[in-house]
Amino acid sequence: MKIEEFNNAIKTKIAGGYLFREDKDNYGNLSAWITLQDKKDIETIAKTVKAYKGRCVVATGYKNEDKEGHTVIYHFDIDGTLINVELFTENETIVSITPILPSANWAERELREMYAVEPIGHPNKDRLFLDYSIAKGVLNEYISLSKMQLGVSDTDILWNNVKKECKV
Amino acid sequence: MTQKITIGPFSPELEESVYFKLEADEERTITHVEIINGFIHRGMESLVTKKNFMQNLILTERVCSLCSNNHPFTYALAVEKIAGIKVPMRAEALRVIADEVKRVASDLFNLSMLTHLAHNHELMRDTMNTREHMQDLKEIIWGNRMDMSANLLSGTKYDLDERKIKLILETLDIVEPKLRDLQERYETDEQLRKKTVGVGVLPKEDALEIGVTGPVARGSGINNDVRVKAPYSLYAYRPKLRPKVTLREEGDVHARAMARFGDILEAVRIIRDVVADMPEGDTYVEKRPHIPAGEAVVRTEAPRGELIYYLKTDGSQKPVRMRWKVPTFTNWEALKVMILGDKVDNVTMILNSIDPCISCTER
Repeated sequence: MKIEEFNNAIKTKIAGGYLFREDKDNYGNLSAWITLQDKKDIETIAKTVKAYKGRCVVATGYKNEDKEGHTVIYHFDIDGTLINVELFTENETIVSITPILPSANWAERELREMYAVEPIGHPNKDRLFLDYSIAKGVLNEYISLSKMQLGVSDTDILWNNVKKECKV
Repeated sequence: MTQKITIGPFSPELEESVYFKLEADEERTITHVEIINGFIHRGMESLVTKKNFMQNLILTERVCSLCSNNHPFTYALAVEKIAGIKVPMRAEALRVIADEVKRVASDLFNLSMLTHLAHNHELMRDTMNTREHMQDLKEIIWGNRMDMSANLLSGTKYDLDERKIKLILETLDIVEPKLRDLQERYETDEQLRKKTVGVGVLPKEDALEIGVTGPVARGSGINNDVRVKAPYSLYAYRPKLRPKVTLREEGDVHARAMARFGDILEAVRIIRDVVADMPEGDTYVEKRPHIPAGEAVVRTEAPRGELIYYLKTDGSQKPVRMRWKVPTFTNWEALKVMILGDKVDNVTMILNSIDPCISCTER
């Protein structure tokens, strides 16, 4: 499938409008980057990918620095061509595409537990990796490197224990 | 009467930690599958945003041990895409050699685990002994049996001289006949066939819908090998190098094992082809390249299937966001299709057949 063909297929169906650009990697493989103006249009994209017998490879999420909300990028594959679709959500919800493309299942569940971005309509409500004792959206928080690597708390409990040992 | 059966999270038959909650009928046929993950989640995607680009080269090699070379390789491709670095052709060749050596060792490990679970210890011993030649090769050339540290952010850390190339070819001369013999035995061994043929079937339609990749896809008749569909590195410049993938239509445990054998023998052929025509020149561009603001998505074919890296940078020394998807991340869901309706005794064998890498998947 040529990227232009995919662009033509979505042109009249995307209600909210979108930005489109082609990209080429260092080895000449083409990929598409689509930025949706309306996050709900991801359903139309998913249906088009399905019509081309494509799959959702994965989805990337991150919390925006400059404006309140999250960016979500879905990465689709259609017979070796990557289609990257970016959308923005300001209220931590997106429309789940798992009912259309089951290959998006884990990617959307991970978005939910790491960034608290809820895929509305996702068939599975269970946690994927993290225990229920850990709040949703853990990657939205700032966690210091020492705490992350060594499990050292932000409190001075460890330091107090060291001081206690020294006195002994 | 329904039986409730649990396997894991820690069991001698499981390579890594995972917890199965199964329900089976009187004939031990599985009627319900629940799989619980998360026992070795390390938050690595968060950790990489706290480390600089050079440190992340080290960290990505430690995502997993069996496919450890693929992570820094793919990460380096993402950084090079953003920095606009064109890697020297000799480095591309060296990267492919390291990757294919790793593929042979990784796939042979999975096959030996299969024979272990099938209680065919003679076949397991011979598979592991064959693999040991590749392990020795890794130790001699890269200095380590698992983490090869082959990649730099603009090339490779290692080079091959005449003596090392001779050693590679001598090792392949020893290994290749053993591999062909093993392939024949895996194909025909009655005991193994009895335990693997028709077991854990993944029909092609389900495989397409779930989006499986690698030998799991090829075992169900789907070719989405990145080296063929979106060639990178030396595979992009030399079309003859791209693998002739083995496709099997059966979709069972045996088909996946034989698809892996196809990968292994093609890897041997690729290594021979590359060393026979090594490009001359440097092995890297610069040791500490500047990484500007940008965004890249790149992918490679790891032993278990498609590995994809997303990288976003802002011109500082650390990534803003780094995300990677390993083959097991999608192959995992296929387990539910494979296990449902099969026998309880086959569960660990079916799990092994997707060559699960849980430390990769959970990160």
